[in-house]
Amino acid sequence: MKGSMLTILQCQVVEEELELSLGELCQACGAESDLVGQLVAHGVLEPRGDSPQGWVFVGASLQRTRQAMRLMHDLELNLPGVALALDLMEQIRQLEQQLQAAARSPRGG
Amino acid sequence: MEFKDYYQTLGVSRDASADDIKHAYRKLARKYHPDLNKGADAEAKFKELGEAYEVLKDPEKRAAYDDVGKRWQGGGGRPPPDWNAGYEFSGADLGGDFAEHSDFFEALFGRAARGARARAQGMPRGQDHHAKVLIDLLDAYRGAQRSIRLHAPALDAQGRLSMAERTLDVAIPIGVREGQHLRLAGQGAPGFDGGAAGDLYLEIGFHPHPLFRVDGRDVILDLPVAPWEAALGATIDVPMPDGSVTLTIPAGSAEGRKLRLKGKGIPGKTPGDLFVVLRVTLPREASATQQQAWRSLAQAYQGEFKPRAAMEVK
Repeated sequence: MKGSMLTILQCQVVEEELELSLGELCQACGAESDLVGQLVAHGVLEPRGDSPQGWVFVGASLQRTRQAMRLMHDLELNLPGVALALDLMEQIRQLEQQLQAAARSPRGG
Repeated sequence: MEFKDYYQTLGVSRDASADDIKHAYRKLARKYHPDLNKGADAEAKFKELGEAYEVLKDPEKRAAYDDVGKRWQGGGGRPPPDWNAGYEFSGADLGGDFAEHSDFFEALFGRAARGARARAQGMPRGQDHHAKVLIDLLDAYRGAQRSIRLHAPALDAQGRLSMAERTLDVAIPIGVREGQHLRLAGQGAPGFDGGAAGDLYLEIGFHPHPLFRVDGRDVILDLPVAPWEAALGATIDVPMPDGSVTLTIPAGSAEGRKLRLKGKGIPGKTPGDLFVVLRVTLPREASATQQQAWRSLAQAYQGEFKPRAAMEVK
């Protein structure tokens, strides 16, 4: 695996160009499918499709799943805890955006 | 090699109970977790916490660590020659895949924890790998070819784990943003028994830029302007991440006014905006003539400009 490579590797932006099946998401995150199923059950992930075999996850699910796994591992959170933490973090993000938009709107002068 | 005081990292005493240690870790981990704390040193601090907790929560590791600590102190602050030899551990638990350990930790407990996971699942396909890489803001505007150096644990000829380095030449796509992931097919861990290699995911971050800040798709520039430029309006050449534009500052602009350059942020299907924030800047010094000019200004506004009207003191 050593040695320099001369070819330029092409890549895809996961969040923009890709959708993932359950298997692909598990592989990409090193997650058990059970865990992903639980994240879906708690509304952390919202795939299209009715059954686990048919689930299609948007690319951003990769980031969200890894974040959930980090929080569960690092902060020893359980699933309801991690679902709550992610919801609150999302709310903070939206509020920060609104705050910035509000700071932008009043005209100078 | 520096001795790591894990007790100090967690702020507990050497005879702290398992509960004390857990409690201290949880509290500090919530404070410094990089997902929750965007501070510059939060990530490094959190890694230290994680490493300390990983050792102190595990009775076997804690005992070995305490033992090493005693021998280390006996040597007058220098490590005894074989300080880390002869400690044996059961199993490889813990999500070591997220953790990067200090040299001290790896010398004592080894790196085996990371490699062992790959085989545990018995999947023929190689594991997917993740790495964080920093690119320049300009790369996101124009696209770029970048050589990226990665270090990953690999088995050597003797079957031991060591760190191997490799360089990948990657085409950075235009419009990639902070926090997004690039997938490089087949660049993860090799497969087993002829199985396919895993993929490599690169999480993108930007090198700090001396002029521009980035917020998702949007880019922000603080633009210093002279008081008269803000008051009278001006036409100014302004740097952009990929060039420059000529910007008209409207007359009567206040400090902090944001001017939006639509679509001049990070490119993409929905391109971001670039915000120029006006920073009214005063000259540092004033000659006698310039002081006179300020005085005439004061006179011209006498009684009409009351910046503190809302906070009048009786």
